[in-house]
Amino acid sequence: MSRFIFPQWTETLKKWVSLLALGAPVYLVTLVWSCTQNAATLRTGYQPDQPVPYSHALHAGELGLDCRYCHSTVDRAAKAAIPPAQTCMNCHATVWKESEKLLPVRQAYFENAPLKWVRVHDLPDYVYFNHSAHVTRGVGCESCHGRIDQMVQVYQHAPLTMEWCLGCHRNPEPNLRDPEKVTAMGYEPAPGEGARIREQNKINPPTDCSTCHR
Amino acid sequence: MPSITDPYWKSLGELATVNPAPTDEFPPSADTQTVDPLSRRNFFRLMGASMALAGVAGPGCQRYEREEIVPLSRRPEDQVPGTTLQYASTFELAGVAHPVLVGSYEGRPIKIDGNPFHPFTGDGADAKVTDHRHGGSTAFVQASVLNLYDQDRSRGLSNRGKGADFNEFKAWLATNRLAMQKDPSKVRVLSEALSSPTLAQLRRKFLTDFPGAKWAEWEPISFDNERAGLKLAFGKSARAFAHLDRAETIVVLDGDIFVEHPAAMRYSRDWKASRGPEASSLGDGKMNRLWSVESSWSSTGAMADHRLALRAELVLPFAQALDAKLSSGGAPSAEFLNEAKVAKFLTVLVEELGQNRGKAVVIAGRRQPPVVHALVARINEALGAPVDYYDDGDDRLTHKEAIVELANDIKAKAVSHLFVLGGNPAYDAPNDLDLASAIASVENSVHLSEWDDETSEKTTWHVPRANYLESWGDARTWDGTWTIAQPLILPLYGGISALELMALVMGDEMTSEKLVRGAVEGSGATWRKAVHDGFVASTAFPTLGAKVGQLPVVTLTASQQAGSRGTSAKPVPLEVVFQYSSNTWDGRFANNAWLQETPDFFTKVCWDNYAIVAPATATEYGLETDSLITVELEGRKLELACYVMPGQAIGTIGLVLGGGRVKAGSKGGDGKTPVGFDTYKLRTSAALDLASGAKVTAGSSYQLSGTQEHWDIRGGLDKDIGDKGIAERLPRLVKEVDQTEYRDGTEGRAWDANEESEFWTDPDRGTSLFQEHTYEGHKWGMAIDLGSCTSCNACMVACQSENNIPVVGKAEVVRNREMHWIRIDRYFKGSPDDPQIVNQPVGCQQCENAPCEQVCPVGATLHSSEGLNDMVYNRCVGTRYCLNNCPYRVRRFNFLDWNAEFKEARNRVRKLVMNPEVTVRMRGVMEKCTYCVQRIQNKKIKAKNEKRSVQDGEITTACQDACPTQAIVFGDLNDPKAWVTKFHKDRRAYSLLGELNTKPRTQYLARVRNPNPKLA
Repeated sequence: MSRFIFPQWTETLKKWVSLLALGAPVYLVTLVWSCTQNAATLRTGYQPDQPVPYSHALHAGELGLDCRYCHSTVDRAAKAAIPPAQTCMNCHATVWKESEKLLPVRQAYFENAPLKWVRVHDLPDYVYFNHSAHVTRGVGCESCHGRIDQMVQVYQHAPLTMEWCLGCHRNPEPNLRDPEKVTAMGYEPAPGEGARIREQNKINPPTDCSTCHR
Repeated sequence: MPSITDPYWKSLGELATVNPAPTDEFPPSADTQTVDPLSRRNFFRLMGASMALAGVAGPGCQRYEREEIVPLSRRPEDQVPGTTLQYASTFELAGVAHPVLVGSYEGRPIKIDGNPFHPFTGDGADAKVTDHRHGGSTAFVQASVLNLYDQDRSRGLSNRGKGADFNEFKAWLATNRLAMQKDPSKVRVLSEALSSPTLAQLRRKFLTDFPGAKWAEWEPISFDNERAGLKLAFGKSARAFAHLDRAETIVVLDGDIFVEHPAAMRYSRDWKASRGPEASSLGDGKMNRLWSVESSWSSTGAMADHRLALRAELVLPFAQALDAKLSSGGAPSAEFLNEAKVAKFLTVLVEELGQNRGKAVVIAGRRQPPVVHALVARINEALGAPVDYYDDGDDRLTHKEAIVELANDIKAKAVSHLFVLGGNPAYDAPNDLDLASAIASVENSVHLSEWDDETSEKTTWHVPRANYLESWGDARTWDGTWTIAQPLILPLYGGISALELMALVMGDEMTSEKLVRGAVEGSGATWRKAVHDGFVASTAFPTLGAKVGQLPVVTLTASQQAGSRGTSAKPVPLEVVFQYSSNTWDGRFANNAWLQETPDFFTKVCWDNYAIVAPATATEYGLETDSLITVELEGRKLELACYVMPGQAIGTIGLVLGGGRVKAGSKGGDGKTPVGFDTYKLRTSAALDLASGAKVTAGSSYQLSGTQEHWDIRGGLDKDIGDKGIAERLPRLVKEVDQTEYRDGTEGRAWDANEESEFWTDPDRGTSLFQEHTYEGHKWGMAIDLGSCTSCNACMVACQSENNIPVVGKAEVVRNREMHWIRIDRYFKGSPDDPQIVNQPVGCQQCENAPCEQVCPVGATLHSSEGLNDMVYNRCVGTRYCLNNCPYRVRRFNFLDWNAEFKEARNRVRKLVMNPEVTVRMRGVMEKCTYCVQRIQNKKIKAKNEKRSVQDGEITTACQDACPTQAIVFGDLNDPKAWVTKFHKDRRAYSLLGELNTKPRTQYLARVRNPNPKLA
């Protein structure tokens, strides 16, 4: 009885199997990295279309409206609050009152058909972020939202990961400024300003789990 | 009476076994999956999972789904998105107003609490945060918000079972109004007990518009026996209200002043005020003494310093004996009064009452016949008791008389039109009246109800009723204070209120806002203030100054005269008493899953109702817990579950009302899966509250879902320490002391009796292997006063409501899977025939050396800088090591996705009750009490924004807010002036299982009992 000889094609198979086996870790690492670390998947730069082509660059930048004119609850509540159509109508009752682009706003105001804005900055449901706790302490809007005054259409500036949050909670000074100036864009804190504000306001950001997770 | 050092036990089974084996918290069946592994749904679930995995590398890598933000077009001035606002309103139960503050999150009411500003049930209009103002509430009040989002609520009108719309109904009314006006004497209204002044106005108008028409009131659990009794005594109906804050001796005859009594909220508060033992309204260091004579356990009996278990029918001769000694009545001849124990009890009680004239009060329960209430009024008069009699100026028939009259009228064909306002009389009216078929025989009938229930089935029209959170309304508290209800949301299913329906009947289409506002402004009060405060000040009823007149002579029945209290008479004469259910009240909360799953105060059974019998009765008739028995009463038979309760009066069968509904809904019984037993089938108009001459026979087995042996702390002890080790540690779970010893400072003798053994004197005790934490900022802590916890369950439901705690259903409760973050442990002490009860609420103790933290392999439970054991759901992988290592058994595991049912379209409305401040947990994670960390964080941030520090009393936990006696106090232990710090430093303070060196942040205050030295 002749010995069993593996056919030739098994040699090719062997190469492929080894390649797969050796390549698996690389593949897995790439997979994990691309899903958890890659800025694109974390939606930095996420820039959805909004129902109204509202330009922050125009309103906050060119016209210089303060952030708090519209996001009026930012310094006293968890939510910064997307303004009601009423706020838009304060000006647009007279300015551009015939504009086609503002039709949804007028509908919202006169027909009580609320605008449906698309959420840009979205945190997981088990994370509880409070705007007022940061804004009243001197963390500038810019620190998380970037140069809103230059965005025609808002996009996500920071990764908003837990690592990124903790980075600042562990070392808040670079992002602290005079609380009077929180809404200023392109603000350059004076040397030592962060440390001074921290000292003055006794800022000691907690890193407990329950600070954000409840 | 048991001595202070006697051991505690949890159940009869445990007492019978010499060596109680610690039980596993995961019984063998606990790991089984309840869903069929090959069902169609599971197949799709698996398919879905694989497809999701397949998509991981591609488009699946996007983090979140697209979300929308929809701001209000015009935001009201005080609305801040993402915050909760509180509005004053009123929840009415059985004709009594419960003033509440409703927490509303962006337009949806999610949390109900007592109104701290109310003059009767709260601290008054000037109550301050720093004084720890509180409103207090009951489990029913807390759970009422779930009724609003009940997925089984009626969603539209129906006419003889077919859907209809409002215009058809209005047209029908318009035609029928003419017929009604032609023969108004054939028109009837049957309403629930009503205390609404606005509805009373409409009633007056109705009775003028339709001369000869009648308006009946019916309430299955009613306080009308007292009403009738006081009419006997004073010649005029009245309501009694005792000032417990001025009473040194409080005697309760077969009643419950902490949950069942219409003034329970105020009674709890006043009783606590004079209870001491430190600060007391009687003078510092003084304590009131509570006596209870009762047939079935109530919270009052559990809190009493002296309790006498007595068949309910024997309370009459007992009251007569009191009356004979203290007032003018003749002595009764009843055999049981000569029994040594009863005689001594009575002598000492009479002596004490005599000594405390002006400071002693007797209160009779609702089950007792009118004559007992009249006797009690006479005794109180003789004692100069601090009792007010309010004159509500209403000369109505009692509920019983009214329902009997209505049934007779219908049978005599004297009713052409019947309007049933709320209630469910087809289910809960006395069985002998057969009101269900009577209602069905009325030609034209309308039932206004939140549910399309048993009664709606019998009427020609069903009209959906607006929930109390959906409509304007008003009601009166027991003292008469006019309390206003405002809507927090538009009717979800287009319901209308009773006010609106009655206005429609009379031909006016009026909103209830207009009606209530008209009534309030008509009385000269300011509408906006009344709505804001939730009440109209100084509207209590006038008090009655009358003297007790001649009372009728009562002849005692044979069983009252010859009946013995104990087992000496053979066979033991049996009686039946009807008692409210802590799960459903009278059946109306049957579809409220929160209440159904909250274990009863004493039996610790949920999702059921049953017959409660004493161990001696059980032995004699061969009855067992977890079995079916047949109770026969005057030819009516009912087979129902049995529960053997230590301390129940021998011969009393306590029938819990409110089960066995067939049209309650998917949770409370829909005719397919029964929930409990319909005990109303044994209830007749002749014997509404108690009936003697019952018979009972044993039957097959049945499973009750009791939680009494679940989460047993003692089960957490190492089994290797054996029975002796367990016994050594046991008495320290609950600490009690007599007032005399406490006053003398010798209380340690009783508390530390076990601490002389080797176990305690080991010099290495208290050495920790772990590095201790330091707390520089806040240091949160809690204190729970066992002396004032009445085990009313309000905290359990409050916690459920605040923290999105899921319900699991009866089958899962049997598997130890209930999810409550706070449970109330109930321990007995003494003999099974006459034990004492102690209650101990147990939530997470937030240990400083937390055993759970040390074993978590993934860091999902960690210590915070303020001393909380943070639980991080998104890290938890479900090893359950933490629970296995927790000596307090307070962690709960999500074995299944308890929220899965909300995905179904019909149930989606239930999601609206969720508190957005708390994560909704998924399957496979551990959870536990967090000290309401969401409240801590929000209040801390608020204080910091305002650049001030957090004040003591500002942060409260949900359980603390709900507690009617303020037995739970929360605060910062680093604040030397905080209440909680004071409590922690109190002599009574102790840590639960402190010997394990876990350093728990919750401390318990030992219960001080105040027995009369002559009875000790």
